This record gives sequence, C-alpha cells and structure tokens, in this order.
Amino acid sequence: MNFVKRYLLPRLFIYFLVIFVGITMVFIIPRLLPIDPIQQLIGQISSRGTYLDPKTLNNLIDTLKELYGLKGSLWQQYCSFWRRFLGGDFGPSYYQFPVPVISLIKQSLPWTIGLLLTTTIISWILGNIFGALAAYFSNRRWVKVIDIIAMIIRPMPYYILALSLLMLFAYIFPIFPLGGGYLIGGQIKFGLQTILTLLKYAFLPAMSLILIGFFTWFQAMKLVVQTVKSEDFVTYANIGGVTQARIVNKYIIRNAMLPQITGLALSLGQIFSGSLITEIVFSYPGLGTLLYNAIFTGDYNLLMGITVISIFVITTSILLIDLLYPLFDPRVRYR
Amino acid sequence: MRRLVSFLILALTVIIAFSQLAPGIPRNETFIANQLTGRVGTPGNFNLWAGWRSQDRGIQNLLLEPLWCVEYATGEIINALAAEPPIYNKDFTELTIKLRKGVYWSDGVPFTADDVVYTITLVKNTPGMDYNSQMQAVKEAIKIDDYTVLLKLTVPNSRFHTYLLDRWGALRILPKHIFEKVENPLTFEFNPPVGTGPYVLKDFDPGGYWTLWERREDWNRTPTGMLYGKPAPRFVLIQTFGTTERQVLAMAQHELDAADLTMEALRAVLQRVNTARAWRRDFPWTVNIDPCVTGLMFNNARAPFNNPEVRWALTLAIDIVEYAANAFDGAVTLSPIHVPLTSAYYDWYYTKLDKWLKEFEIDLGNGEKFKPYDPTAGKRLAEYVKSRGYTVPTDEETINKVFGPGWYKYAPDVAEKLLIKNGFKRDKSGKWLLPDGRPWTITILTTTNPAHPSYRNGFALAQAWKKFGIDTNVVTSDALATLGQRGEFEVTTDWPAAEPWGGHPDLYRVLDPFNSEYLVPIGQNAPWGNYGRWTNPELDKIIVKLRETDWNDTDSIIAFGVEGLKLLIKEMPGIPTFNYPGVIAWDEYYWTNYPGAENMYAQPYHHWPNFKYMLPFLKPTGRK
Repeated sequence: MNFVKRYLLPRLFIYFLVIFVGITMVFIIPRLLPIDPIQQLIGQISSRGTYLDPKTLNNLIDTLKELYGLKGSLWQQYCSFWRRFLGGDFGPSYYQFPVPVISLIKQSLPWTIGLLLTTTIISWILGNIFGALAAYFSNRRWVKVIDIIAMIIRPMPYYILALSLLMLFAYIFPIFPLGGGYLIGGQIKFGLQTILTLLKYAFLPAMSLILIGFFTWFQAMKLVVQTVKSEDFVTYANIGGVTQARIVNKYIIRNAMLPQITGLALSLGQIFSGSLITEIVFSYPGLGTLLYNAIFTGDYNLLMGITVISIFVITTSILLIDLLYPLFDPRVRYR
Repeated sequence: MRRLVSFLILALTVIIAFSQLAPGIPRNETFIANQLTGRVGTPGNFNLWAGWRSQDRGIQNLLLEPLWCVEYATGEIINALAAEPPIYNKDFTELTIKLRKGVYWSDGVPFTADDVVYTITLVKNTPGMDYNSQMQAVKEAIKIDDYTVLLKLTVPNSRFHTYLLDRWGALRILPKHIFEKVENPLTFEFNPPVGTGPYVLKDFDPGGYWTLWERREDWNRTPTGMLYGKPAPRFVLIQTFGTTERQVLAMAQHELDAADLTMEALRAVLQRVNTARAWRRDFPWTVNIDPCVTGLMFNNARAPFNNPEVRWALTLAIDIVEYAANAFDGAVTLSPIHVPLTSAYYDWYYTKLDKWLKEFEIDLGNGEKFKPYDPTAGKRLAEYVKSRGYTVPTDEETINKVFGPGWYKYAPDVAEKLLIKNGFKRDKSGKWLLPDGRPWTITILTTTNPAHPSYRNGFALAQAWKKFGIDTNVVTSDALATLGQRGEFEVTTDWPAAEPWGGHPDLYRVLDPFNSEYLVPIGQNAPWGNYGRWTNPELDKIIVKLRETDWNDTDSIIAFGVEGLKLLIKEMPGIPTFNYPGVIAWDEYYWTNYPGAENMYAQPYHHWPNFKYMLPFLKPTGRK
C-alpha cells in the first residue's frame, strides 16, 4: 500500500501532468511560429507554377481553413484537438491533405524503429561492455587503440562521418548501395533474400549510427567505471578479499550501469522523432524527414502527431525506469 | 562454426551480387532521374486532384496528359488531349474545346468528352479538390459530341483555358470511368493510377524514395505517341537521392541519368564524369530558357520603398557584373525587364523594348535627366567571365542571348543625387541616413536554401548596397511564403514578378497580380506576384485590355505586354536581375540526344510535364 501511495501515485500524477503539459505545448508552439500552413501551401503551389487567380484565392483560403479545422477561436481548436486526440485521431495532414496523419506516421515508423531501435541497442550494449572492460583494463594496448579511434570519431560531425562511409563503401568500394531502403522494383517478401537485401540497404546508415553511438557510450561508461573503481567501497572490498569477479560484476558494473540505463531510456524515447541527417544522407525512409517537412510546411497536425508519440514514449520510458530503478539500485526503495 | 561461416559467405555473395535495380529492369532500358521535390509523403496515393501528391514523381510528367501544354524551349503551346487551340465566342462567355481522337486511357477505355465534362463538374462540386475555386467560373460543361466540349462561363474570361494549360500545374483530366465509382474523391487513392500518358505505374517505394514507370504497350494511343513517336526508355525511374553529394556519386556510377544540381555539384560532375553534360556544353552551362526571372521585390507599402526614385537609386547602386559574379560566378543571363530572357521572349519582348530602353530617362531634378540603361552590361559580364578563364562566344547576338542584352548602369553618383533629392543624407563615415536622420538599415528576406537563386540574390544584393553605404542585413526564413504574402518584409528576393507562361506571349499572368483590385494592406494576404503591393492605374487599364483580347491575337497581346513592362521599368517595384539559372546535368552513358542550347527541341527538365515529350527523342547508346 505504501508503494502505491508514496511511490506509484506521485509518479503517475507527474506522468500524466507532463503528458498534458507537453501535448498542450505541442498545440500552442506551432501556432506561435510565423508560419501559416495555408499561406505556406499557397506559396508552395504558386512557386511550383500553378496559376492561382487572385480573385479565387480568398475562396481557396476559406475552403482550406474549413477543411483544415483552423476555423474558430484558439480555444475551440484546442477543445476539438483534445476530442480528436482522445479518440486516437491526429486529423488530416495539412500539406498532404486529406491523408490522415496516422497513415503517414504508420508508413515511416517501422523503418525508423527498425533502424534506430536496433542501432541504439547495439551501440548501447557494445559501448557499455567495451567501456567497462576498457576502464577496468585501462593499461592494455587495445584500450589505447580504441581510445584513439574514439577521439577521432566522437568529435566528427555526424554528417561528415555518414558521407565518408558512403564515399568509402558505396563509391570507392561499391559494396553497398548509395541509399534507399530496398531494391528498386523488388518485392519485399518474407525470406532470407529479402532479409539480406534489407540488411544490405540498412548497413551503412546503421554503421554510421552505431559508430557514433558506440563511442559515446564507450567513453561515458569508461569514465563512470573509472570513477566507481576509485570509490571507497571498492577499495574496502578489495582489502576485504572479495573476489575480483564479484567486485567487477556486483560492485562496479552494477553501480556504473545506473546512469547508462537512464541514458538508454532517454535515447529510446528520442527514436520516435527519427534521425533526419541519416535519412537525408542515405535516403532512408523514416520519421525524420516527415517531421522536418511538417515543421517546414507548418503542418500542425503532422507535427503534433509525431511529437505526441515522442512525448508518450519518452515519458513512459522514464516512468518505467523510475518504477524499475529499485531493481537496479538497492539504495532506492519503495518507502 | 561452419554454419556461421557458410551464412556469412552467402550473405556477402548476395550483398555483392545485387545491383540497385531488381532483375527484370535492365539498366540500359531504364532512364533514372532525381526527384526535384524530394521524398514522397504519400507514396501510395496518386490522386493529384485532391492535393499535393508529388506530381513530379511521374504523375504529371509520364502518366497524365493535359489538354494543352506550354513548351517554352520552342515558344509553342502543344495541343495534347486537345486537338486544337481553345476556341472562344466573341464575348468570351463560351469556350469550345476540340479533343484529339484515338486517345485511350491506360486501362483500354477510350478518352472522350465525357471525361472532360465529368472532371470539370466533379471538381466544381467538390470543395477541397484542386481548382475547385477556379471552376466556380463554369456555369455549365456540355458535351456537344464525343470529341467536343462547350464550357459556358459565368463571366467573360478570355483566359479561362489557362487553368487547363499545363505549365507545372493545371487541371488535368481524370478518368470518369474510375472516379464515378468512387464514394469520396478526396480520400480516393487512385492506386493503381490510370492515365492518358505514355507510361504506367510499375512499382513504388512504400518509403517514398522512388517510383518506377513502364512504357505502355499501346503508347501510340497517347498524345505523346501520336505527336512524337515511341518514348525510348522502357522504364523510367524517378528517385529521391537526398543530398547533392549523393547525386554526384550516383552520376559518377552511372546510376543517375538526369539531375538538378547546385553550381558546385555541376562543376564536380562535369569534371569527373566524362559522359556528363549540361544544357549548354560550355560555360555558363546553366539553362537560360527557364520561364522564371529572379531578382528582388520592394515592399512598396513601406517607406522609403514607396518612392520610385528611392527604388531607382537602389537599382543604380548595383554593379550588375559584380553582382552576377558574387551570386553565380557570372553564369547567368541578365534580365533587365520583368520577364526572363528565353528565346521566345527575346523575340517577343526584348527586341521590341531595346530601343525604348536605350532612350528611357529618369528625372534627377533641376531639369537633369539620366539614361539608366546600359546596353553593354551583357558584354561586360562576358568579359568578366572571359577573365575568369572560361571560353565565351564572340558574336554579339549569342552574347546577348547567353549573358543578356544589357542591364542598368552602375551609377552610384546618380543614385546619390536621387537620394539627396529625396532628403536622404550621408553621415560622417559615409553611411546613409534616412530623411528623418536615423541610420538607414535595410533587411532582405530570403529563403533558407543556399543553392536557390533567391538566396544568392539576397546576399549579392546585401553586398552591393553595403558597398553603397547602406547598412544591409539578410534574414533567411522557412516562413518566407507566409511573411511574403502578408507583406512583413522590407525587401524580399522572392520573384520580382510572377512568371509568364513561358511558351506564349501573354503576360496576363505577370501583370494581373498588380491589379489595384487585389491591393491589400500589410498583414493581409497579397496575391502571388505582387507581395510588394504596387499598383498603377495605367496598368489597370492595360490589364482590362488584355482580358478583352483573344489569347490567339498575338500582335495585340505583345503590344499590351510591352506597355505593361514599360510601366514596371519606369516604376521599378521590384528589380529583375537574371533568369532563373537552371542547373541540370545529364549523363550520356546510357542515353544521348538530350535537348540542349545547341539542339533546343524541348525544355530540359525531367520534372516538368513536358518530360514525356522529350523521351521519344532520346537514343540508347547500347551500353550494358
């Protein structure tokens, strides 16, 4: 009972409050932008050469306002937004009217999850394992080699890294494709060949993300382990004759993992806004370019749809971590 | 372990053995072009009548034919689904459209007047469909016979057919037999799409990065086939390559046949890919027949830009050769008037205005006059380019067409006189002060895309005016369209005037937005082509005359157009600088006989609707 009252309920309250405030902000912020979605659309149509008779322009604006649900006061729009939202409907995309926002998200989400979830987890696991080993065996030659590589790759702008991989493995040694998600004109069918083709197309974008992610986690973990290693309780355990394996596994790694677990939860949440540069460099399908286009065109509904999903995932990840934390950290108790 | 090794070997074999295209789509029978507008947001939706569906991914340029299409390379209007030019009655209240016989939809159904009548009626009655507002001008669409349609209009309009005239957008005809079975034409995906053009959909990427089209077996039952013959490539792939760097790499690997590039990328392609070419084989390489003119627009509703003498002073403060060098390394065609210097407009307008421009004077006060036109500007630009080590043509006519016949003089002394006449002063350091004594700062609003001519114009302009002593800032914004329409700017490098048709002398599209009927205060939305909020009663009269002139009466149309352009030059509400320099590259590894400056049979862009009319002229090289 204590757990529910003192631990769970306050966290659930904060959870729902953050979601409420976050979603309200998502509604308000785009409306503070100097971008009017209708004017953007008309501007785009005009600049693409379509002849819009100035006389009919105002009729068009009225029709679009009606269709986009932008008529009425801000409060009316806000209420209607919550009504739709609670029914699981983000409304139509303005820019790609009348396609529902949810259809656009559904189309991009699997690619984003497939690429970013996998690469985040792989780089997290590898980065932490190697980071911990490197900190523990800090005098070994391989650690120094990884450190040097990390010092080169970590500060490198992601765009340059991605482009270098592309140049190296798609142009100079044309092993991988220049971009895309799947073979052009090929059908995605369940089978080994399809999986291999998908992997081939995902390899370079995944490699670019893993490289950056790996070295980030590696350096963070190495630093934390080094700090924990010099803590009094480790020294005490050493003096007390506790076995090295136990010290590493139970004392050092377990303590060092705590900030890394929190970091992972935040990284997983960020997956849902996609990786714009990866998608642009490798023409890889995903939510990144969708979100960018939503901002650029003032597509409020699409912007809200993607951001709301992101808010949900981040807050839920944090809530889960908060609830599971006592399992990782014995100092935290449901009291 | 052995299994693992076997798996890895198999994986590696598959990886290395695969090419970009699936088996069954031979590269040498496929034309690959990059997609101008990027990744498709709704890959499975081809219903372009219900909003933006990335029409340049093959929908407008391969699948569908319009009634008429502008061909700006030759300066003609192509009768596509229509058999003849539009026929109006005397008072322009009725439009008769004669249709081409023998055209079939790609699913084998004949194209007839029923399709045209149904399209116009459906669009008129469905709010939310593109051209719904415009089609309210139709009182009734009547089928006279299978190949004749009569449109009765609510008010006289000699330009109604231009809504059906493809330029880079038009109300294209939809298949009645498909749409009449649809419950909601707005949400209908039109997949698989059915068209009257020479290609049909073969496949598309659910991620939105490519769309693959296959030539119709009955290509000879399409307007393209009837007019120009069999399109050469069996497949056309429209693909989004993302960054320019990737396009360069793809071209270097012969995985991309036609691309829109930046100048820097074009140089890289021309240097590294020995089978690549641009519109012009020599410098300045760029497409100089694009129907858009670039430059800047003043906010004429704001002081001091509401004063034509100030606008002229700012024009004369620009050294156009230095400006063109800063913006595009001189690879542009100067446009002193508000229409671009295409071959067609050169004959229709530039030659007719040349004498007037040379004689045109501005009043500096105290009886002093100044002739601002500099007929040597094009030659000066050519000289600059020559000094940069490029080869330039030597005959005057070619220089006129490549670098422009002239522009306005660089006359900072005259600009100074004009400003002083209007109460401006310089401070001790030579910087300009407004008539009320405050420092004069100009903010230029432009796009965020560094490769775009608007952006390049913005920074070149800032440099020119700074040199003249005006504190000038450039603000780049994704909200350019919104801010522009609302008039929330001082100077914008959005187009100085709306684009003309490109392949027809009619300047109604350029001049009508300046009509005082549409003038709105700052904060309200101004029409495209007049974000600067400039009007002139004389121009209103010209617009009325144009409205009452038959579209086919070329001589009268040109005469009115010339008068309209003279007014724009006299008042200079926005300064035209140079043509939109189209930066495209073609790879001749698999296909040759592209149109070019030396062989101008068609416009050069693969994203334009006319792309389908270029394809029958391409020739395979036979390379595998």
